[in-house]
Amino acid sequence: VEIRSAGVLRGRSALKVCYDRGLQSAMERTERLLDLIALLLDAKQPVSFAALRKTFPDDYGGSPEASERKFERDKAELLELGIPLTFSQETDEQPAGYAVDRARYYLPPLDLKPEELAVLYAAGSAALGSGAFPGASDLAFALRKLSFFADGLPPVPKVRLEVGAAAHSRELPQRLEALWAALSARKSVDLEYYSPHRREVTVRRVDPWGLALRRGTWTLVGHCHLRAAQRTFQVHRIRSLTVNASKPKSPDYEIPADFSLDAAVAAWPWQHQLHPPLEVTVALTGALAPLTGQLFPGEGVATPQGREVTLQVTHLDGLRSYVLSLGAEARITAPEQARAGTVGALEQVLAAHGGAA
Amino acid sequence: VKPAVPVNSVQERLRRLLFLVPFVARHPGRPVHEVAQALGLSREALLEELDLLAMVGRPPFQPDDFIDIYVEDDCVYVEFDQRFSAPPRLTVPEGVALAAAAKLLEADGSEALRAALSRLLAVLPPEAAPRLAELSARLQVSSDAPPGVAPLTQAIARHVEVRFDYLTAGREAPEPRHVQPWELFSHRGQWYLSGFCLTRQEERLFRVDRLARVEVTTSAFTPPEGKSARGVPDVAARGGEVRVRFSKRVAAGVVERFGDAARLVGDGEVEVQVPGDSERWLTGWVLSFGGEARVLEPEHARQAVARAARAALERYRP
Repeated sequence: VEIRSAGVLRGRSALKVCYDRGLQSAMERTERLLDLIALLLDAKQPVSFAALRKTFPDDYGGSPEASERKFERDKAELLELGIPLTFSQETDEQPAGYAVDRARYYLPPLDLKPEELAVLYAAGSAALGSGAFPGASDLAFALRKLSFFADGLPPVPKVRLEVGAAAHSRELPQRLEALWAALSARKSVDLEYYSPHRREVTVRRVDPWGLALRRGTWTLVGHCHLRAAQRTFQVHRIRSLTVNASKPKSPDYEIPADFSLDAAVAAWPWQHQLHPPLEVTVALTGALAPLTGQLFPGEGVATPQGREVTLQVTHLDGLRSYVLSLGAEARITAPEQARAGTVGALEQVLAAHGGAA
Repeated sequence: VKPAVPVNSVQERLRRLLFLVPFVARHPGRPVHEVAQALGLSREALLEELDLLAMVGRPPFQPDDFIDIYVEDDCVYVEFDQRFSAPPRLTVPEGVALAAAAKLLEADGSEALRAALSRLLAVLPPEAAPRLAELSARLQVSSDAPPGVAPLTQAIARHVEVRFDYLTAGREAPEPRHVQPWELFSHRGQWYLSGFCLTRQEERLFRVDRLARVEVTTSAFTPPEGKSARGVPDVAARGGEVRVRFSKRVAAGVVERFGDAARLVGDGEVEVQVPGDSERWLTGWVLSFGGEARVLEPEHARQAVARAARAALERYRP
């Protein structure tokens, strides 16, 4: 492979007026990395570092140590982008050097059925359109790649999604992006967190362990340095957030191997870990009975009047509120204290609305 | 607004450019604005990217060795370049984000979604598996979509009619419906379908968790242009006609949800106004506060809540 200096033509980019040196170096780096990918995708055999130094004298031409460090950083960047960059040792047939594994570089045709593409595309578009989904840029590229082989530009199915609370949600997209970045690199964050119940803002350092979306609300789970324990935070209650910017490539913490995001975040309103577990029975009758499996986890058991589900409840107020919202066809039947509490709540509703029981 | 974390612009641009060349090769001669839109860029930003690509080449960097991407008559073309015939595979974060988003529409029986997703993740390089597992465990979206969402999405995308059983408030038995589905949306965790109900011969809004046995038919229809859902009980919207007051005990939660639309009244109580177009929604919502919320006006809404509470109490009496 004959490799000559690229300096002459590459000099074109130097003609661009760049007032900002940081911007200029970022542009040069983008250009160099693209050149590198183009070169390696094209090479018939691995390209040695010595050859790369000759090809990119402006970039890798300095002292061997400095240019090697620079190349290591570039390699890391390419690997992070998912470019299958490999190094092979010298053999009889070829010299030692770098190559991009073409078989693993290109996105293969995905052979998705139209209905598969439609539903996956709809899900991704709805998440993006909600404006509150972490990794929005990743998601956008996933969708572009997903539909790359589809004929024509893909239709956007009409599926919309709203997440988050109404108040203080303007910052939600940035908060989620920042938390996603922190999670991916395992960097600590500093939060100002508002608790509506205590009506106070606390400042905390948190090691993010996971982000979960449940019924329209995003929850952050992590180790809270202030409380020295695992805590959950609703993302829309975060008033300010800073990701630890020092040493971005080296993680600040480990996530315990036995940590389960699923167990840490309540999927249903009665699962918040506030009290010792209590076994509660809910009866569904009439039109709600056939919907048991949608309204509660599990199908429950059949009774003469409809269906009955038994739940492990750690937040009884949450269950009571949920059952009340379902109307007359849903009742808490056991234990007696839970049943009586619900009757009491209904009597209060009636009294507040001028009715007599 | 400045992002909380500076995006790695080098990576972001590389990812964009490695997609842009194959995209233009596959869709040659598309107008600049269309290509920009497909890449999520402004027109100016796209033209800048094209400028940068013109600098990219391979040794010996002769004129023919550069990527030949150009704009002619406001359309974008590229000389076919074997090296950039397809974009790179999905990255791990791309796969994780898509898998999490897919969960939003996943429910029991959404085979299409699961099949598509597993095929997609299968094209990630094998060495990405540990990182994929690691990142997936940190982003979780609960599948609270009712089972109807996946087939309805397909029907909306393909413009075909659906049939299902629908449970209306106050009826014991479900009613069969024949519907042209227009739009699905989730509003604070609740899924709705808007469409034209052929059974009732009018525009309708359905709650997806109240419908069962969804059947996607083969009868095509033409969806109306620019139709968007109406009548969603947007509780946070101002100016509804039903005035509800909340006790001090629950006031903080209401203020958080309604923001400036919640009016503080004496003694730490708050008041909001919500639409009254769905009596069922309103009564369920007020009941859920168990006496900490009361409807002040109008009178018929107040009576509806009292009726609902009385009906529920009757069920508790042996």
